[in-house]
Amino acid sequence: MRIDLDAVRVVRDSWSVSATGTFTEGIHLISGDVGSGKTTLARVIAGLSPPTSGAIRREDITHPMISFQFPEHHVTGSTVSEECSSWGLDPTVILKQASLQEKAGLSPLRLSRGELKRLHLACVLSQEYDLLVLDEPFSSLDCKEKARACTTISGRARGITIIFTHEQSQFPRVDMLWEIVDGSLHCRGNLPDALRTWEHAPEIVRALIRRGKEPANLTRQDIREAACRT
Amino acid sequence: MIELSGIRHTILDISALRIPFGTTSVIGPNGSGKTMLLKLLAGIFLPHSGTVRIDGVPPRKTETGWVNEFPDRNILFGTVIDEVASSLRFRHLPDRDVKITVEKLLDSMGISPLRGRPVCDLSGGEKVLVALAAALVHTPRVLVLDECDSHLDNYRARQVERIVQERAIPYVIRCTQQVESAIRSDHVIYLENGRVAYEGVPGEVFARLHGTPFYPLTMECGI
Repeated sequence: MRIDLDAVRVVRDSWSVSATGTFTEGIHLISGDVGSGKTTLARVIAGLSPPTSGAIRREDITHPMISFQFPEHHVTGSTVSEECSSWGLDPTVILKQASLQEKAGLSPLRLSRGELKRLHLACVLSQEYDLLVLDEPFSSLDCKEKARACTTISGRARGITIIFTHEQSQFPRVDMLWEIVDGSLHCRGNLPDALRTWEHAPEIVRALIRRGKEPANLTRQDIREAACRT
Repeated sequence: MIELSGIRHTILDISALRIPFGTTSVIGPNGSGKTMLLKLLAGIFLPHSGTVRIDGVPPRKTETGWVNEFPDRNILFGTVIDEVASSLRFRHLPDRDVKITVEKLLDSMGISPLRGRPVCDLSGGEKVLVALAAALVHTPRVLVLDECDSHLDNYRARQVERIVQERAIPYVIRCTQQVESAIRSDHVIYLENGRVAYEGVPGEVFARLHGTPFYPLTMECGI
């Protein structure tokens, strides 16, 4: 299972983003500034938009999924319960998972944005995919729900998971770190070595590295362990 | 001082709350009523019962800037320049003055290159920056930001904090899930099930949240 991006480029007027690299099974984290092309690249990798030039090769990917940055863009059901069913899932199970049992009869668009994101992620993360592209999966989630989403993502046993995010406080366990800098995708490598060259590293990670306490990975547990190291 | 008294509105149940000058961060679980509180403060909704007063005046009679948590719901016009200029044009200010004010603001926010772009082509973060510019352009007395930092990278979020601070707006009320940035506020309100569970200076509020996911990792790690 792999995806090869071969000189992929998307151009819009004077703006562009380029990407070359290979994604294999595991969890990949891609960071980048506002407007750097994270969503554009997410759509290209998921096969929703074609690049302006270059090639994408997908090997053994038959079941892909993309989670959009805006959960409202996924809504097709007229009630929260119907929204679960539209994913082919049992609403009772999903609503319990998302702690939204009391809101089953509401329109999904009446939920708070965080609740809608929680519902959406519960639907997405309850299924298996060869390729799962998550565009800003943690935005709007509260701290507790972010932690829960990170645990679920960290536990994905198979497939390629690519997370596009500017999140700074909570992360799943990450296998490979990437970032978009100056219009190009750069692979920073495996953790923990990649942390030293990660331009978008959260301040707490930078502070730990400065103190010679490099975390083994990016989960809260990894950060805590590094901070407590003597 | 912003004063809320006897508020009962959907999930919200706040008998008394005073919000002082400065930046206030509203934090809490999803669905705890943060957005509803912000909408009452911005005058978007009137409470079913109770009152909201900003220096003695109702929110709808106060100059207020508002940025919605759904980036697409902020936008009324097709291009960035039209969106940001809209509130000044509604006041029939001279075109030349509008142009100067808008260009200066876009420049100070580092988003001048977006000026002619169709808003629908912008990224989520760019839409938030445009909405923020539209909220700031008429120099509000109260600025209400509903989780706009959830769409911004760290650099941009810090830049927004700086820009807002430089404009010396008397009341900035922001809802955020970035508890690390809430530490930098003057005041923090922690909402739970529609009620104010804790409020005060950041150190006091976060001390009460120790051991919960809302306790900042930097404080936990002593950084």
